[in-house]
Amino acid sequence: MIAMTRVPEADGGDTGATTFELREVSVRRGATLALDRVSLTVRPGERVAIIGPSGAGKTTLIGLLNGTALATSGEVRALGCSYRHASARRIRATQRRIGTIHQRFDVVAQLRTVHNVNAGRLGVWPFWKAVLSLVLPREVHGAREALEQVGIADKLHERTGDLSGGEQQRVAIARVLVQRPDAILADEPVASLDPTRGLEIMELLLDISAGAGTTLLASLHDVDMALDKFERVIGLRSGAIAFDKRREELADDEVRTLYTIERTDEPSAAED
Amino acid sequence: MTVSLRALDGVESVDGDARRRFGGRPERSGGARRSRQRRLWILVVVAATIGSLAVAGVGDRAVVRAEGLPAFGEFFAAALAPRADAEFLTLTATAALTTLAYAVLGTALSLVIGVVGGVLTSQTWWSLGPRSHGKRGTVYWALARAVMVVPRGIHEVVWGLIFLIVFGLDPMVAVLAIGIPFGAVTAKVFSELLDETARQPYSALLAAGAGRSAAILYGLLPPAMSDLLSYAFYRFECAIRSAAVLGLVGAGGLGFQLSLSFQSLRYEEIWTLLYALIVLCVAADFWSSRVRARRTQRVGGARTGGRYRHDPFLVGSCLFGLVLIALSVWWIGLDLAVLFSGETWDYLRQLATGAWPPALGEAGAGGLLELSMVTLAMSILAMVIGFWGGAALAFPAAHLPRGGYTAGGAAARAGRLLIFAASRLLLVVLRAIPPPVWALLFLFVLYPGILPGALALGVYTAGVLGRLMAEVAENLDERPLHALRAQGAPAPLVFCYGVVPSATPRFIAYGLYRWEVTIRETVVVGVVGAGGLGYALAQQLNGFDYAGALTTLLVLILLTLAVDFTSAAVRRTVR
Repeated sequence: MIAMTRVPEADGGDTGATTFELREVSVRRGATLALDRVSLTVRPGERVAIIGPSGAGKTTLIGLLNGTALATSGEVRALGCSYRHASARRIRATQRRIGTIHQRFDVVAQLRTVHNVNAGRLGVWPFWKAVLSLVLPREVHGAREALEQVGIADKLHERTGDLSGGEQQRVAIARVLVQRPDAILADEPVASLDPTRGLEIMELLLDISAGAGTTLLASLHDVDMALDKFERVIGLRSGAIAFDKRREELADDEVRTLYTIERTDEPSAAED
Repeated sequence: MTVSLRALDGVESVDGDARRRFGGRPERSGGARRSRQRRLWILVVVAATIGSLAVAGVGDRAVVRAEGLPAFGEFFAAALAPRADAEFLTLTATAALTTLAYAVLGTALSLVIGVVGGVLTSQTWWSLGPRSHGKRGTVYWALARAVMVVPRGIHEVVWGLIFLIVFGLDPMVAVLAIGIPFGAVTAKVFSELLDETARQPYSALLAAGAGRSAAILYGLLPPAMSDLLSYAFYRFECAIRSAAVLGLVGAGGLGFQLSLSFQSLRYEEIWTLLYALIVLCVAADFWSSRVRARRTQRVGGARTGGRYRHDPFLVGSCLFGLVLIALSVWWIGLDLAVLFSGETWDYLRQLATGAWPPALGEAGAGGLLELSMVTLAMSILAMVIGFWGGAALAFPAAHLPRGGYTAGGAAARAGRLLIFAASRLLLVVLRAIPPPVWALLFLFVLYPGILPGALALGVYTAGVLGRLMAEVAENLDERPLHALRAQGAPAPLVFCYGVVPSATPRFIAYGLYRWEVTIRETVVVGVVGAGGLGYALAQQLNGFDYAGALTTLLVLILLTLAVDFTSAAVRRTVR
């Protein structure tokens, strides 16, 4: 097991109490409003699922949290860092502490697995070390441990493109593991996998989160999985929060409305 | 296919992927308008050809020198009796190794410049993420691209002439003269490769807080690397020809020996040297095509189960390349110290102060304009000759799709095979003899002027185009041809109704694209006396008129750019 012993509170700096904080955040994409005055707080160690139809703004929300999308108005803070006001250096330091997992894995097919896993260390490594590692892999031990944790230690030296989809997603998770993040964001992490594989991956992410107290925020298409596995569920519809509740407080029809209204109101815009 | 097309010189990507991506709008406007445009362009080309012939003086004054014909014949007769005594063979081998070393080191340098420059001129590098307010990234990107235009627009022979002034007779001349322009071209191709590569892995690394360089190294370079490698091997082929040509302007190696033998008109020696050059070219050709074929197979997923292993042939080729680089440094005694010696800097200063401000020289603006027209005419004639020559040779030299063609007895088959072999051989010879040598040859039978230069370039271009076009003919979509055959059309009609129409757009694209190369190459034949801006430039550099040379060079670059734009515009209507 990779030790992710860093206590978020101790390291979080100024506002240690929250991992993510959105205040009245809007994102405008041309004429459409991708997110409309969204406010939300995620505390350290929380596990949150975001559900909602395509085009509801889930991917945009995740992009805001890891600093790859910019809010048109409002305030986004991650691990105490305000993306709007912080320096580039501060933002990068923050991004290093946030691991993101994507629907399409976003690992490099041509690289061997060990390099894809080590890519999680790029934020910390000096450039020369990154170059050297492509020739003589560095920190192989750490990479192997991470792959062990995701259950594919034997694939260390294989070309990532030769692995199956589920295995590639495991490589992506291992990459996040060596990053030793305080928070993990997962954007539809299982949407490209079959149900069995998807469940395995989801459970893996939850285990990792539970084992190290890492905050986990995942957007999901699969409503049952969200209700089954996450304590807190946020429903997103047309760029606004429809509900933000603990799962036991959530009524069935609330979930159903989330999807039905959207279908009659406007045809879902492609999001991914 | 896209990659192999682009690989064939990279002055401009033939398929225009890049243009579409960089904001060009996909043209789906009315077919009528396009066919009108097409007819217009045909008229323009015909007019330009006639105009160029007039500039060359055809029909105006005598162009053929009948008394030179015997010498021309003697030259080709000597092909069968090259000088082959031990002494001269040793000399040839030594010169060939030098040329090879120049090519190897030039390619290595171009690869370094290409990777660094390619990253720096890619859009991806300059798209600074969501926090780049305004269009700053785009401005930087445009600037970086503009910076690379200059080294790309100057032909390696001109670089050679300039470096000869700075370094004197030093092996560094050839290495830099090849490395810099090739590097700039490689950078352009590579930047396009990078921008075509899926960006998500790169963005994912950036999102995890990785630096830009590290993210490119892990997220973008690996997918683009194999294409770059195959392109580097292709450039190596070109580098051998360039190294030989550079020898003609004094940089040593096979080209230098060629020029010596030419001066004393020893045809049998010339042929020995040419054969050596052909062997080098064919060997490089073979190696590079093997590497590229291997690479394509791998992409197809040649995984042999279990642990991922690198292709031993590819790894071996790369290692062998490294060994070649080390051996080349030793063979030509490349000494980096020459870059930093006081003398070099003195000459450089002299050159710079002499060249600035640029001056018009005695010919004046009118003279420059005339030279530009002459150069343009030369390139147009060369393009036309190359196009028709290449097209005529391409079909016999192609393994055409079978079917109707297998008809006939053993005699007919043997005849076809013979024609195939002969046309392939002819293509190899046409492009193995460097344009300046062709130019010197044509000067036997033609009066000096642009015609020998145009013919030289045209004949060489026919060799290059013929091979490309044969490839096109081999890769044609089989289905329409099959349909024609199925309805009983005889082979010649299948050819006219099926093969020619479907091959034509590609042929024209290649022809135009070679035109861009040809206008640059006018310098090469100009240097040996075929006239135009290249000749003027060489004269000015030799006469220490650096200010005039700079002006000529600038005009040449402008002319090159104008040709590039025109060719791109025509290609858009053809596509």
